Amino acid sequence: MSVHESEDNELVTRVVVQQDTAAFGELVRRHQSQVRNFLRKLSRDYSLADDLAQDCFLHAWDKIHTYSGSGTFIGWLLKVAYTIFLQSKRKSSRYGEVLQQIGNASQSTGANNAGLSDEIGDLDRFLAVLSEEERAVMILSYACGLSHREISDAADLPVGTVKSIIFRGKQKIRDSFEIEDHQYG
Amino acid sequence: MKSKIISMVDRLKDKEDLKLESLFGSEPIRDDGFSRKVVSRVRRRIWIQRLSLPIAFIVGGAIAVKPLSQLVVAVSKLRAFIPQDIKSNIDNIPFENLPPVSSILIAAFLVIAFLLAGKLLQE
Repeated sequence: MSVHESEDNELVTRVVVQQDTAAFGELVRRHQSQVRNFLRKLSRDYSLADDLAQDCFLHAWDKIHTYSGSGTFIGWLLKVAYTIFLQSKRKSSRYGEVLQQIGNASQSTGANNAGLSDEIGDLDRFLAVLSEEERAVMILSYACGLSHREISDAADLPVGTVKSIIFRGKQKIRDSFEIEDHQYG
Repeated sequence: MKSKIISMVDRLKDKEDLKLESLFGSEPIRDDGFSRKVVSRVRRRIWIQRLSLPIAFIVGGAIAVKPLSQLVVAVSKLRAFIPQDIKSNIDNIPFENLPPVSSILIAAFLVIAFLLAGKLLQE
């Protein structure tokens, strides 16, 4: 366990035992960037993502006693964030509209990504060809740097499934953008 | 041991993985008051949770006082239907020494409210 992880665990203990809001504030400061980054990439809507990130941390405050300490705290937090995201998506159509816009823009310029406008970034175009599950797993892996086991915990999927989703995701990106020799962008 | 091996295998990245990492990667997002906002929402939530039970009790009690006193009055009217021999025994009980029912209810209500307020302050 790294120093950072053991400090996280100490802070979690203070929150659980003493309901220490200052310790919780420190946990938020440490992890807000990764959680917001994950949700921003997943939803492609910054203000929605930041609202969801706040909900995620409030939910984390309520449920922090369920964190067993077996995995990393950020892994557990991203699991909460993913659950919050899925719940909000079920309730709202805003997320679907954002993805539809990205998908339409990607389709209208053809399979080849060479002539796309700058308004939609490379990452958006890549994410648009992935299913929601693939998108989440790829972001957890490549943007958040989680291990396959941590992704398996966060997304509630077996490790083998995580590996095959990543393989499939990479394959789709290659096929959709006719990239040879793994050259992106 | 097994998980360590899996974790090491996870970290073996090819050229493609590194390219994807750079594509997905981004600058850390600055806090800009985000954590302060979250903590203040957490503190507000704690206060709401602490106050909700006493407030619910006070409001519920205030609503319940009138129907409860009416119930007591209605029960006392049932005395007319009690057989005479039982009634004479009841008459021997010194009810007049007891405070009025409404006073007893208000006193009980205040005691419980003070207990809850004391617990709240202790927390």
